[in-house]
Amino acid sequence: MRNSRIIGGLTLIFLLVLWQLAVTWGFLKPFQFPPPSRIGGAVVELATKGFPNNQHIWTHVGVTLWRIIQGYVLAITVAIPIGLLIGTVAVLDKLTLPIITFGRSVATLSLLPLVIIWFGTGELTKVLLIAYGCFWAMLSNVIAGVKYVDPVMIRAARTLDTGRLRMFVKVVVPATLPRMFVGARMALGVGFMVIVGAEMIGTIQGLGALIMEARTFYRSDITIVGMLFIGILGFSISTGLSWLETVLLPWNKGLEEVRR
Amino acid sequence: MMADTAASTGSSNPATAKIDVRGVSKRYATDDANTPPVLDDIDLTIGDNEFVTLVGRSGCGKTTLLNIIGGLVEPSHGDISVNGRLVTGPGEGKGMVFQQHALFPWLTALHNVGFGCRNNGVSAAESDRISRQLIELVGLQGFEDKYPTELSGGMQQRVAIARALATDPEILLMDEPFGALDELTRLEMQDELLRVWSAHKKTVVFVTHSISEALVLSDRIILLAARPGRIRREFIVPFPRPRQRTDPQMIALYDEIWRNLA
Repeated sequence: MRNSRIIGGLTLIFLLVLWQLAVTWGFLKPFQFPPPSRIGGAVVELATKGFPNNQHIWTHVGVTLWRIIQGYVLAITVAIPIGLLIGTVAVLDKLTLPIITFGRSVATLSLLPLVIIWFGTGELTKVLLIAYGCFWAMLSNVIAGVKYVDPVMIRAARTLDTGRLRMFVKVVVPATLPRMFVGARMALGVGFMVIVGAEMIGTIQGLGALIMEARTFYRSDITIVGMLFIGILGFSISTGLSWLETVLLPWNKGLEEVRR
Repeated sequence: MMADTAASTGSSNPATAKIDVRGVSKRYATDDANTPPVLDDIDLTIGDNEFVTLVGRSGCGKTTLLNIIGGLVEPSHGDISVNGRLVTGPGEGKGMVFQQHALFPWLTALHNVGFGCRNNGVSAAESDRISRQLIELVGLQGFEDKYPTELSGGMQQRVAIARALATDPEILLMDEPFGALDELTRLEMQDELLRVWSAHKKTVVFVTHSISEALVLSDRIILLAARPGRIRREFIVPFPRPRQRTDPQMIALYDEIWRNLA
């Protein structure tokens, strides 16, 4: 475990050095493949002077994070009750399946023009786009979680005189929780995919905006910094979610090990 | 050794019949018309506090019959009554133990055991008290706060038995509860079940495909034939408990049952 980490780290350093040398020796053009030294310089520039128009990197990160959190939380709080309802009522499941399949298939960013017409180019548009993307990922997982509750659990509960309400609250909902966490993680991924597009319009703040502005100024080094920070942000939140899962669902740890 | 029900044990004459299975047949909706039914016109009377095992090859309908008695599956024809009252659904004094422990993974051992009590409106404190007693009875003191995934297969099944006993049902229905356990644990669990049963007398219907398990445990063994599922023969096990698995009389009865299965 420790060895593999060291080897992984060394490989990364080796590749970075190789990249730097490839640019120095003229195999790669710095304009297309800004070397690590340039990217490091861009980070410093973003942290001190800021780009564009003196927007510091922390402003970009903060703004992006806030948009994602709003859209994400909105999507999840709406998707959980709706998903529980659809999963429980078989008729609703049949009725909504085509809508859900359709909604999921529509690439979120293709809605951008419409959403701009409806809600303008302000914050609401960005948050709603993120929410739209997250919503379907979460919804389909909640529905599947309810539908595929182990029938043995239901049977066992029935032999213990479990009434309808308690069956839902004490059996179906807890049995669905692990799948909800899967949905929450998938939705988060979607949120980060949508953000870059959502920030293309009407803002110079946010990591997506940073990437777009950098394109206008042919600053590929800054584009890469923007990518890096999106990656770091996504990784951190995802790690946080996993940690939350082990805290909230301590009983699920063993189960996952069995499934692997 | 062909027995009629009335004579099977002292406690199980029809006057005190606990479970009455009358003309039960079962055909699954997915079966085509030419397939013989899973169960075909089963009549069976089980006495109060009697320990009955249903034995037969895979697919002979023994689990289906148990599920019908338990009210989990509806018969195509016929009916079941418990204490003279028609069975219309699961629960209501019929505890059940499944082949897979079927414990709720999100609840600790203690709360799994107390689940039925809480359904019946028993207070949390009282439910915990009952559950602790039962956990001790099945020999798991110290494991009250463990989750099912932290327990071994045998321990999980002990919790499942305690859970089924917690609401003090009159009937305990067990569907190959030790089928997934290794041989040693299985033998241990058989002794354990008898000990628990002698502390809490219940009418037990126990499904197994192990003849020796049926011999060690039960007052009466019902041998089922497959497709059409019918009662082939019944055997009384007249020996006092605890029974020696190597007792020549037990072995003789084993052979007789085996010949009837083949």
